[in-house]
Amino acid sequence: MSLGISAIEYINGIKNGTITAEEFVAKTIEHIKKVEPKLHAFISLNDNALEQARAIDKKVKAGQNVGAFYGMPISIKDNICIKGGKTTCASRMLENYTAPYDATVVSKLNAQDAVIIGKTNLDEFAMGVATEFSAFGPSKNPWDTEYVPGGSSGGSAVSVAGLESILSLGSDTGGSVRNPASFCSIVGLKPTYGLVSRYGLVSYANSIEQIGPMGRRVEDVALLLNHIAGKDPHDPTTIDNKNQDYLSGIDSGISGKKIGIIKEMSSGSGLDSTVASVFKNSISAFEKLGAKIEEVSLDMVEYTVATYYVLTTAEAGSNLSRYDNLRYGYDLDSEGYEFKSYISKARRNFGPEVTRRMILGGFVPSAGFAGKYLLKALKVKSKLKKQIEAAFSKCDFLISPTVPVLPFKFGEKIDDPLAMYLADINTVTANLTGVPAISVPYEVKNGLPVGIQIHANLLQEKQLLQAAYALQNTTKLPEVPL
Amino acid sequence: MVTKEDIEHIAKLMRIDIENSDEYFERVKKILGYFDILDKANIEGEEVPVQQVAIDELRDDKYVAFEDPLIQQLKNYRDSYVRAPKMN
Repeated sequence: MSLGISAIEYINGIKNGTITAEEFVAKTIEHIKKVEPKLHAFISLNDNALEQARAIDKKVKAGQNVGAFYGMPISIKDNICIKGGKTTCASRMLENYTAPYDATVVSKLNAQDAVIIGKTNLDEFAMGVATEFSAFGPSKNPWDTEYVPGGSSGGSAVSVAGLESILSLGSDTGGSVRNPASFCSIVGLKPTYGLVSRYGLVSYANSIEQIGPMGRRVEDVALLLNHIAGKDPHDPTTIDNKNQDYLSGIDSGISGKKIGIIKEMSSGSGLDSTVASVFKNSISAFEKLGAKIEEVSLDMVEYTVATYYVLTTAEAGSNLSRYDNLRYGYDLDSEGYEFKSYISKARRNFGPEVTRRMILGGFVPSAGFAGKYLLKALKVKSKLKKQIEAAFSKCDFLISPTVPVLPFKFGEKIDDPLAMYLADINTVTANLTGVPAISVPYEVKNGLPVGIQIHANLLQEKQLLQAAYALQNTTKLPEVPL
Repeated sequence: MVTKEDIEHIAKLMRIDIENSDEYFERVKKILGYFDILDKANIEGEEVPVQQVAIDELRDDKYVAFEDPLIQQLKNYRDSYVRAPKMN
């Protein structure tokens, strides 16, 4: 029994009796104990995982109704709430915060008999691309532990790539699912805005972020999406997807489909030559699959990194204002402080990136500067949306490298926030326009993974997953060196 | 041109009190400098997007109790009061 099996293989194994949930979960826990000192994918582990797996096995044996996941170990990013458990957001500010309710995605996974194996590491409050901003130390890329795993859902990607879980849920505000998926050679999907409930996801920039499924195979990600998508009364931005089945017909192929290469994301001085050559290979593969390729220009892409950081810091400045140490926070006695200095003192517990973004977030919408920053960013967002709508009137899919650069070493960008922000250039467009985008692992060059990004139009996840599945089957990836 | 004083003023309003403030201000200034790229974007005639939701798509205007014990999260909570530092 290999821990590297797909979700579909796991379910078949349980159904035909070749594996039990208890065996698989026990083996997973043993493996986690072995590799965690090296990888640090998790912030906390579920102590009851084995017990839960046993209870599910009992149901299987008794012929009772069993949920779709059959005790499969799934990890959850630690900015998603699980009732009675710690939800730290990798921040000192929430180190002792116990969530009083389950996120909708967690309720849905529990109802389908998933075993939530643990909570995964992230950049503090999901702000970063390397997990270097986690207050509890970074996660390591399983392909080479001297390299960052990407972020902010880096722990989720590491747990899946490192065989510590079969599936994971991350969150994606500007690429935080797709970037680590690309860096760790797994699949990561940012769904259409509103397809998955954000109830119980700690807000960073709620107008554009989504919870997204991550797995080693495209079909696994489709399966997970099947069970987390849909309308939720707790999140008024959610959309009724009519219980669409994203898994059925996933092997339909993409013959005759039109694919646009986004020029601004696939050329220029910021694009690494290795990434460019892998991207070229993927284009040839798409052609062989019978797709028609053309180049598409979205000239607003040049302004999207600035737009993204203006809009998200403004929202973060507002969302993070709740951390005043009265409702959430750590032990700091109010005795001896006056109101303002007390809150300022409490906020020293934010790490450097969160502090920076709060300052920026106060600045960009402030009187005298809103016209220069915030309103312009909102207008770029409007125009970008029109440009992507126009592109989808001609093309079924739009493609680019997921990240223009290869995974980098720890410490390489941490002192240069701007260089770090520019790594988001290819991923933020999907968030700013609301469209779904997926990163598909394509090659591992000199030990470092490269992912390909495919966008589809709003709510076209089914077609998007078919394209990703077709692309996946044109490549054979090496095994992760654990 | 954004000055150090502008940034200090905003940090104060955001109730952020930082050590090594020079390092922060240099980096924040550099990022704001990058945001100037927005001045070059051709966005003439674009509107600020607004979201519209039809009234019949909203949930019923009925009180639903939040059963989960959120209030227990408060550390200095007693007799339905939260103890906070004194205002000045």
